[in-house]
Amino acid sequence: MPQFFKRRLEPSDSVWAVTATTTLSIVAALCVGGLLFIPFGANPLDAYSALFAEGFTSWRGFGYTLVKASPLILVGLGTVCAWRTGFGYLGFEGCLLVGAAAATWVSLSTVEGGLLGPLPFALFLPLAVVAAVVSGGIWAGIVGVFRGRFGGNEVITSLMMNYIAIFVVQYLVSGPLRAPGDLPQSPRLPRDTWLPYVLEGTRAHGGIIIAVIAAVVVWVVLLKSRVGYELIVTGLNPKAARFGGINVGRMQILAAFIAGGLAALAGMVEVLGVHHRLLDGLSEGTGFIGIVAALLGKLHPLGVVIASVLYAGMSVGADAMQRQAGLPASIIFIVQSLIVLFVLASDVLRYFSLNWPPRQLSGNERAMTTTSTEN
Amino acid sequence: MEFDLLSSTFLVAWLAASVRLAGPLLLTALGELFAERAGVLNIGIEGIMLLGALASYLAAWQTGIIWFGVLAGIIVGIVSGTFLAWMYVTVRASQVVVGIIFNILALGLASYIYRLALGQVSGPQTVTMFKTMPVPVLSEIPFLGPVLFNHSLPVYLTAILVLVAGYVLYHSKFGLKLRAVGENPHAADTAGINVSTMRYFGVLISGAAAGAAGAYLVLAQVGQFRESIVAGQGFIALAIVIFGRWSPYKAALAALVFGAADALQLSLQLFQVDVPPQILLSLPYALTIIAMSGIIGKANQPEAFMIPFKRE
Repeated sequence: MPQFFKRRLEPSDSVWAVTATTTLSIVAALCVGGLLFIPFGANPLDAYSALFAEGFTSWRGFGYTLVKASPLILVGLGTVCAWRTGFGYLGFEGCLLVGAAAATWVSLSTVEGGLLGPLPFALFLPLAVVAAVVSGGIWAGIVGVFRGRFGGNEVITSLMMNYIAIFVVQYLVSGPLRAPGDLPQSPRLPRDTWLPYVLEGTRAHGGIIIAVIAAVVVWVVLLKSRVGYELIVTGLNPKAARFGGINVGRMQILAAFIAGGLAALAGMVEVLGVHHRLLDGLSEGTGFIGIVAALLGKLHPLGVVIASVLYAGMSVGADAMQRQAGLPASIIFIVQSLIVLFVLASDVLRYFSLNWPPRQLSGNERAMTTTSTEN
Repeated sequence: MEFDLLSSTFLVAWLAASVRLAGPLLLTALGELFAERAGVLNIGIEGIMLLGALASYLAAWQTGIIWFGVLAGIIVGIVSGTFLAWMYVTVRASQVVVGIIFNILALGLASYIYRLALGQVSGPQTVTMFKTMPVPVLSEIPFLGPVLFNHSLPVYLTAILVLVAGYVLYHSKFGLKLRAVGENPHAADTAGINVSTMRYFGVLISGAAAGAAGAYLVLAQVGQFRESIVAGQGFIALAIVIFGRWSPYKAALAALVFGAADALQLSLQLFQVDVPPQILLSLPYALTIIAMSGIIGKANQPEAFMIPFKRE
């Protein structure tokens, strides 16, 4: 019997194999996602084109896309810095909240008679950035120290830190920062401290500029500088890095600090650009979706920007679709996560190579195709 | 309301609520323990709980039979567990990435299916729930009776499962193999234990337990489904496993600590005591962080925790 595939001992790493399996998995995920439109009586192709139309072809929609993309880019960049250093941090949700709280505090201090008094925006913004980055950096840095100095497990500790951050914000908005009224939220921030709108006729605010600047900085630092090289080597092979004279523990702490600072900026952008106050339930999973964006962007700063903008555009389209056609917006969560899962799973496909035109396999090759070498 | 922290009515109410709230957490944690003892961190239990809750809700609502709800939760848990085990063990993808993404997928799926199933129905439909079943004689004991023996059936079943899990893990051949695979997969492999199979079993058990815990939430605590029904309880179960140092008995105590903190802040709010409830709520998480931080010695985690196995 002719065999169309033969099994390989090691997965193929050729560009062709990676491109083919990745494309295949994205198409497969989109197809499965397309099926989800059918019960609601929508044509999948129309639905997909509508999904992209709102967020990318209408000016107003594009503004919303940029609004949603900014925090995703910042969290995604944080993921790149942490994960490429081999620091499996999952606490971006917490850093985001801490950064939001810090920015709120600085902003509220600029009211008449406050700690800082009225400040021009050009002075306020750097102050807010520093406050957010330092607080988020320390928040993640704690986990970094546990890992770098004491060898703790950063996955679990960072997940737990998220809850503590949620409680900190809950405490702030129900106690010290609470505005008069029934809702647990801070007072509205002074208008002078809001991020300015950057596109005429849209809600797009300065956050996108901050995010893009951050992406460029991360790209330069991580991929073009000595420190970045040391970070990446630490992630690729900590043992080799140690032999090469790199202080692995210190690199992990540094990566934690940078990652936390970036995610905290996402919180600052959300508070100063969108909500204009601190409130409970501010994040709604941005700290996790940013990780997805980073993975879709192959943990590269430029990839993160592209993936985040695409993701944001799709979620704007999905919201519009839900409003207008009654299609559930949750479909894009499904499609996005399926893409990542399928891309991960497609690794098994690279264990097979095409045997075309079919020729008889040698005894050795046949043995490999019939008995699984997996374990 | 007069507030007296040490009054026995308050203590009884508080401790009974702790036991009640600890139930689903403990059930999930017991399953996760098997996955982790086999060397797999299954973060996906958060999502499995949600899918299990939805499945059990739909089944119980459609059939009106409570046990179909339980069954549906477990089946969905096993199916999800199979997929996750395949990703973790066969594909050898990063356990953290797969788990996190699966949770997002589950959130999307649950919200989608719920809309699909109840799109035409107005208002949330409630299902029949497990009734409180006081244990005869034992529930008459002063103090201990109402705290421990005046609950619904799932609470008792979970308590029994603690003993079962302890027995299987420490006194059966299956448990020995499972632990061997989590501590030293290469040695286990040499000794003729099929590492993949054992890890599949571990993840499947965690899936079944998380699915059942989702059913527990619907059928014994809430009576209906909402997207926020799990809200991080799967992650708390992860904390319980670690806080309980990978032992079913200690996990039961850990679950009670988390349940007690939750119950205490609820009653403190009721009594309007001037303590920020967040301090109490964050205490168990802080303890877990300290347990995992490495400061007070290595948390005694399975040696091959989170490391995919590949035969050399």
